[in-house]
Amino acid sequence: MKSYYDIAGDGGSRIIEQVGAMQAAIGERLAGVKHRLAIGSGKGGVGKSTLTRQLATALRQRGNACAILDADINGPTQARLSGLHDLPLLPGAEGVVLPKDANGVGVVSLGSWVPESEAVSFDSVSAGDSHTWRATREFTAVAELLGSIDWGQLDYLLFDLPPGAERTFQFAEFLGSTTSFLLVTVPSDLARGVVSRSVAALRETPNRVLGFVENMDGYWCDECHDVRPLFPRSDRIDLGIPKLGSVPFDPELAAACDRGELAVGKDRPWWAAVEKLALTVEETIESKPAESTE
Amino acid sequence: MKFLCVPCDKPMRLLEATPPDRGSVSLVYSCDDCGYEMAMLTNPQETQVVTSLGVKIGADGESESKCPFTGMLSEMDPASDGIRWTAEAQERLSTVPEFVRPMARTGIEKYAKDNGYAEVDAKVLDAARSHFGM
Repeated sequence: MKSYYDIAGDGGSRIIEQVGAMQAAIGERLAGVKHRLAIGSGKGGVGKSTLTRQLATALRQRGNACAILDADINGPTQARLSGLHDLPLLPGAEGVVLPKDANGVGVVSLGSWVPESEAVSFDSVSAGDSHTWRATREFTAVAELLGSIDWGQLDYLLFDLPPGAERTFQFAEFLGSTTSFLLVTVPSDLARGVVSRSVAALRETPNRVLGFVENMDGYWCDECHDVRPLFPRSDRIDLGIPKLGSVPFDPELAAACDRGELAVGKDRPWWAAVEKLALTVEETIESKPAESTE
Repeated sequence: MKFLCVPCDKPMRLLEATPPDRGSVSLVYSCDDCGYEMAMLTNPQETQVVTSLGVKIGADGESESKCPFTGMLSEMDPASDGIRWTAEAQERLSTVPEFVRPMARTGIEKYAKDNGYAEVDAKVLDAARSHFGM
């Protein structure tokens, strides 16, 4: 009797064909993207989205064509961070138009089209068991966005990933081996412990991990005009990947993010740190992969 | 998933896929050699898992709405009253992912209505692009 692999085609269901067509569409759409960089962590609340936003701005300022795909389907924030609320999805002649912020950074985020008062809940013919299909549907949604947006020619496409070490791994498989990773942590063992799990998970993939960024590494105090400690100093957990930079927390930046203002605080230490990070990311991603630790 | 006619040792071919009925899809397969027909009846969970891949079951399979925001759309301003779409504009709209297409349509029709257009064509889409600075 024939086995599965003895039979060509799928008997007419066309499911494999449709999945293949979607993958081909993604490949075509991303053909003009030089570097794919996923910003993840594993840990929630460490500032992945804010850092992604600021890194894109700094890379853009350095002359790079940049865009962000907000891959956090359930908690999209890039629309607010970029000041791109209430935009219609517009189909252009060459695909769905890539919305751009005031700095010229492309931003694709469900938050541009879905009010923050709405939860994302996909229609289902199978009520009560979303745990069996929801993650698949979310990845499909990201795939459909990737495969329909007219990304054009980009130096960097940044993926703002959702939290979860397992999701970091899943996105590595989903985005393919040519996507590099930048991990974000804060200076605490609690966060580093989770990020360490993401590092371990990514070691099981062929993807390159550029290194990590220590976000909220102190806070800028307007009264003493200095960066003060925010977390107890902790270097006990060695992530085993290069540290590419550290960025202090700044209440003014946090307020600007809430308002979706982009041109705020560039005279402050956090921006200098992000500029330095952008340069380091450029140099690292253009260099050959090397074994190194912080 | 493939189906094999065991007596003929030949792959069976999909003849018909019916639209989902309460989440169940009926797929009829037949053997080209002996003509034997069989039907696979999916349960809602199986239907959902497969459609979550973003595919339609069957060559011309019908899919139910994939828009996750249908509840929100029903509460939005019903801008679509009387707005027509040209074939070219419809073709462009089809490039928007199906799960957000209803939102795209609603947003564009609202723009058209607010700006006095009775029909959405390529020029209106391009005008909307300029209007929103995209």
